[in-house]
Amino acid sequence: MDTIKTIKELAAKQFGGEADAIDENAPVDQLGIDSLGFLEFLFELEDAMGFPIPQESVAHVRTLRELATVIDELIAARPAAPA
Amino acid sequence: MGAIAPIGASPGECFESAVCGRSGVERVPAELYTGTASLAAARVRTDISGYWPAHQRAQLDRAAQLALIAAAQAIADAELYLSDEESLRAGVYWGTGLGGATSIEESYRQLLLGSGRVRPTTVVMGMNNAAAGQISIANGLRGPLLNVSTACSSSATAIGEAYRALLAGYADVIVAGGSEALITDGNLRAWDAMQALAHADANDASRSCKPFSANRTGIVLGEGAAAVVLEREDRARARGAQIRAELAGYGNASDARGISKPDADGQVRAMRAALAQAGLSPADIDYVNAHGTATSIGDVVETTALKCVFSDSHMPPVSSTKALHGHLMGGTGALELVLAIGAIARCVVPPTAHLEEPDPACDLDYVPNHARAARISAVMSNSFGFGGMNAVLVARAYQS
Repeated sequence: MDTIKTIKELAAKQFGGEADAIDENAPVDQLGIDSLGFLEFLFELEDAMGFPIPQESVAHVRTLRELATVIDELIAARPAAPA
Repeated sequence: MGAIAPIGASPGECFESAVCGRSGVERVPAELYTGTASLAAARVRTDISGYWPAHQRAQLDRAAQLALIAAAQAIADAELYLSDEESLRAGVYWGTGLGGATSIEESYRQLLLGSGRVRPTTVVMGMNNAAAGQISIANGLRGPLLNVSTACSSSATAIGEAYRALLAGYADVIVAGGSEALITDGNLRAWDAMQALAHADANDASRSCKPFSANRTGIVLGEGAAAVVLEREDRARARGAQIRAELAGYGNASDARGISKPDADGQVRAMRAALAQAGLSPADIDYVNAHGTATSIGDVVETTALKCVFSDSHMPPVSSTKALHGHLMGGTGALELVLAIGAIARCVVPPTAHLEEPDPACDLDYVPNHARAARISAVMSNSFGFGGMNAVLVARAYQS
């Protein structure tokens, strides 16, 4: 799964614009996303990923790239689905 | 002035509808309501989804969206451009009964019946003062801000209190009004449980609200927003503002009787207080926009109160425009003031539509079913809320 692609597509859907045009290394406030908007974005992302994103895990996230890293770590830490 | 309501998306459109008898009432769609009663409601039909980008709209309850539109219209109509310093003395006084009712109901629906999760924006969308805050933010109004919640008189009270604040010198200009958007399943069920709602007219649902008519069956819930820009006269004149009318008097009095049962005494005192502040006698009032909700008791009590204030020889025409726009609850007083001021400007009294059967207990001149040309210099607008909260505004044609 390409996590950053998923995140950028969701950001484009929620905040407008083209996913490819979003700078994943820019601080989210420079993308026009305020703190409440970012929480709302995380809420939508939880729906998209299908698992909760603990607040403490994203407390220091400043960019969408950093967010993708956190999400990948959460995925890696999740128990494998039963075969 | 600004308005977005079930009968139009501007003050002019609303007034045209009120005069022509165009109703904004319709049968409640099945997808909105899980009850079994046959109900009607008056919804804003204008598509407002394109006013904001999706992520901004996601932080605005429908009531706040309607409020922002009405406030923006009023500010544009007043050609109000404020310097940084002037914005410090520009306020917002806003009325609403239930604030972000739609957001709150949706949060409980998701919590209890849906995903079990609550959106992070629920608090800022649901809180009662959300619309007032959003108007302040959107327009850079940094003076006094007040959110008023006195049920059905909320926006009339907000406008009246704004008027007092200007007179007291707390501000130079205030955007005042109110908004409501509570046509949700839960609210429809709650109001119906009170047996306060009108049955949908079996032949024509748009005629379900019948104030002062013997066959009235109750309130039709409405939604929408209306706003006025109140400004100190000296400031308005100095900048050459187009002055729509003079707000001349405000009366506020409580019944202290029943939480939902109206009482003529408080209504009479509110009307008399508004007249006294305006320096007008009852004979000076040329039109009363009644509260007139079309409940069996409310219309009779208001009729009794009007008879106490106005003698038989000086009874002005009285109409309830709720027949067409429904009861906007916290927004209704502002919309009805806008319509009453429209009557001054257009020299037309809007009728009480759907007055089909005279009620012996409601025996005033309600301008039944057809608008009436008249010279109108001064108007009264009545708003009476649950809790026994009565607010009355008097406006008159502006003469420099």
